[in-house]
Amino acid sequence: MKLYLELIILFPLSGAIVNLLLGGRLLPRRASEILACAAIWGSFVATVAAATAYSAPMTVEITSWLAAFDLKAPISLYLDPLSLSLCLMITFVCGLIHTYAVGYMKDDPSPVRFFALLNLFVAAMLTLVLAGNLPLLYLGWEGVGFCSYALIGFWYRDPQNATAGRKAFIVTRIGDIGLGIAIVWLFQLCGTVSIQQLNQMGANIPPGVITALGLLMLLGAMGKSAQVPLMVWLPDAMAGPTPVSAQIHAATMVTAGVYLLMRMFPLIGSSASLCAAIAVTGALTAFYGATCALAQRDLKRILAYSTISQIGYMMLGVGSGAISAATFHLLVHAFFKALLFLGAGCVITALHHEQDIFRMGGLRRSLPWTFWPFLGGALCLAGLPLTGGFFSKDGILAAVWLKGGALYGGLYFAGLLTAFITAVYTMRMVLIVFEGEEIPLNPPLSKGEVKSLPRVMEWTLLPLALLGIFGGLLNLPEFLGGGVLNSFLSHPGSQELQLSHSSELLLQGVAAVVALAGMATAWLRYGGLRRQLRLTEAELPARGLSAFLLEGWRVDALYDLLFVRTYIRLSGFLWQQLDEGCIDDSLDRIAAQLGRWGQRLGGWGEGRVSLSLLSMAAGAALIIVWLTWVTI
Amino acid sequence: MEAYLFYILAVVTVIGTVMAITEQHPVHAIVYLVTSFFSLAMIFFLLSAPLIAMFEVIIYAGAVMVLFMFVIMMLDLGRPSEASRPFLRRWALPMLLGGIILVSIVTVAVNHISSPDTSRMISINDFSVVLFRKYGVAIEIISMQLLFAVVGALYLGRKRDDR
Amino acid sequence: MIVPLEHIIILAAVLFGLGLVCTLVWRTNVIMLLIGIEIMLNAAMLVFVGGSARWGMPDGQVFALMIMAMTSAEVSLALALVVYLHRRRNSVDVDEFRELKD
Repeated sequence: MKLYLELIILFPLSGAIVNLLLGGRLLPRRASEILACAAIWGSFVATVAAATAYSAPMTVEITSWLAAFDLKAPISLYLDPLSLSLCLMITFVCGLIHTYAVGYMKDDPSPVRFFALLNLFVAAMLTLVLAGNLPLLYLGWEGVGFCSYALIGFWYRDPQNATAGRKAFIVTRIGDIGLGIAIVWLFQLCGTVSIQQLNQMGANIPPGVITALGLLMLLGAMGKSAQVPLMVWLPDAMAGPTPVSAQIHAATMVTAGVYLLMRMFPLIGSSASLCAAIAVTGALTAFYGATCALAQRDLKRILAYSTISQIGYMMLGVGSGAISAATFHLLVHAFFKALLFLGAGCVITALHHEQDIFRMGGLRRSLPWTFWPFLGGALCLAGLPLTGGFFSKDGILAAVWLKGGALYGGLYFAGLLTAFITAVYTMRMVLIVFEGEEIPLNPPLSKGEVKSLPRVMEWTLLPLALLGIFGGLLNLPEFLGGGVLNSFLSHPGSQELQLSHSSELLLQGVAAVVALAGMATAWLRYGGLRRQLRLTEAELPARGLSAFLLEGWRVDALYDLLFVRTYIRLSGFLWQQLDEGCIDDSLDRIAAQLGRWGQRLGGWGEGRVSLSLLSMAAGAALIIVWLTWVTI
Repeated sequence: MEAYLFYILAVVTVIGTVMAITEQHPVHAIVYLVTSFFSLAMIFFLLSAPLIAMFEVIIYAGAVMVLFMFVIMMLDLGRPSEASRPFLRRWALPMLLGGIILVSIVTVAVNHISSPDTSRMISINDFSVVLFRKYGVAIEIISMQLLFAVVGALYLGRKRDDR
Repeated sequence: MIVPLEHIIILAAVLFGLGLVCTLVWRTNVIMLLIGIEIMLNAAMLVFVGGSARWGMPDGQVFALMIMAMTSAEVSLALALVVYLHRRRNSVDVDEFRELKD
């Protein structure tokens, strides 16, 4: 068992190291691609082996790491249902994405760097998930942050991409500070950093402190999971290659924040106000993301905003205490969002890196192998009844409803509204991209000339589509026989409230109606002949509400005004006024003054006889005065 | 009587010197200085140093000053030098330094020197005995110095045809 | 001793100060500078002679004589230098001669 756990992390790590050290010159391109994929699939196999051998939660201490005085943070891995299911998902999805990336990066000049970073990312993410103590978790946390930064700016020759990478790094750093403080504080309070021990100590800590700790962790989660108000980096992160977007910014890394909260939930869940804060953050983010996605033109940005929105759902679930529902949504979302991104990657590759949805069309016929899986993923996202997305989203909404009260009631309706908007924007995307006449591209591509895609890219879509659509089977509602995942995740001692079958059925009915209504609305607006109308409308620049939504509620502009400009002005002030004006200038003046004195002093020794005489007389006068009045 | 003569001569000496150093015209300055040296020679005489007084007149007022005059005339410097520089700036610092030294010396002289008036007159005989007995070597050195000065002056003053 | 030694020293100090001022002021003319030196030397001689009269010892007068001899040597050399420099630079301004710098 210990071996399996070690292998899970060591496979991708060694893949990254070998690729970094030997790739490029020593290994042929094909070899490094195979190596990268093999590392992930090996990790997947190890995870499956661990899953089959799994019986009860266990901690494996591999080696000592940080140890100073009271602080003991060994490299210890902790395996429980939550981390096991996440590991399965991560290794499987990442494996598919790696395979897909082989096709996607076929023409890229530096595959070694790309695959090494992807492997390193997987290693860091698995470290994060399996970490048995907070410093190790933080190591993984920062590791994925670094890989995300490096991969967003992968095509760093374009300054825009590099800027997007820096933005992601800086914004998430704000959240990381919160997490770092929380870890240190917890150690100071409890004297340990082991997650297991901390989770059992919840009763000993005053509730106010727990709330504060939870808020700090929530801050960390906000940064990593792109929650309001730290969500601005995710849409820009789409500057990276599409497999990166799929792997990091949709399926795995952005869920790290949610995972952290789930992991620490036994500790922080006792604070009701904190739960409310998490839930409100989640609901707000979900609504924000959905509304923004409604107006986007860039295919990848639509998906990015929908990711923000869906992670908001997960946070809402965590805030409602429905850990298993949130986990379920996390897994299903990983499947269908990876699917959607990979499908989008196919579309974009086929259209020569065209990302504007209003310049696409008719791809249903030209790219059938992409269209059908993509449609499946979109239906999952929209929450069509009986797909995985429907069940998982409904599980969260049911949990919110179950909490009752004015706050959670309001949040439930916000969630429903968001579900409606989600259905609308999803179908809008599908209808505009795949339906209608193929509009002329620039440079024009006739229908038959759509660039043939590497086979491997489309093949990887299928298993994801199947998992997304039938993911509901993992965790069927109670009245359909109960969920595998639910019983797997629920550990003794956790009491998640259960709805009666009839009311659960009612809630699912409501959700289904909402989703269908949303899809119908989208059809009414974008379907059939009206699609062309929208296309002509899109030629004009966006105005009013749609412009507001297109720019993500203008949050970027607001932050620019509040922080960036202020910072620039402050730096400018410090630079020009304080540094150059005050410090440098005073030094310059002192130097100039000294120089002038030096000139004068030098003039003394210029050999002027009269000056020498005068100096001699002055010296003599001094000596005489000294002798007269001081010594005598 | 002799005391009054001393004070009168002192005043003459000081006035002559002041006139000499403030005079723009070098020849006039030399003449004032000769006057001052004559009265100084009288003071030496009053201080019972007749031989020194004679030498003062012969060497100083006579030879040295004439030498000065001779050089001034030879170099054609006998016209008033320009007085264009501002008076205060030119005189203030030297006056200050001179004043400091003067005040210091006067203070010392007044405070620290007791002056018993008992003394004996020094005759020329005494002077000569001391000069040639006690300071014979010094006389030799002085004479050699004068010789060197003559050689040096000759060397510096010879006409150079090579340039 | 006809007058107190203090008075002689005061007179010498006045002469010395005047000579110093002369030296410092006349920077445009080497001749006047040398004259200032003569005045100062005279003041020194006066002190020697006064001291000699005060203690009744002829040594002071001997030194005055030596100063005088030294002065004449110095003046002859200095004036020779002035002539030499004037021949080279056609000037007697002391600040013109700056070879000491190097």
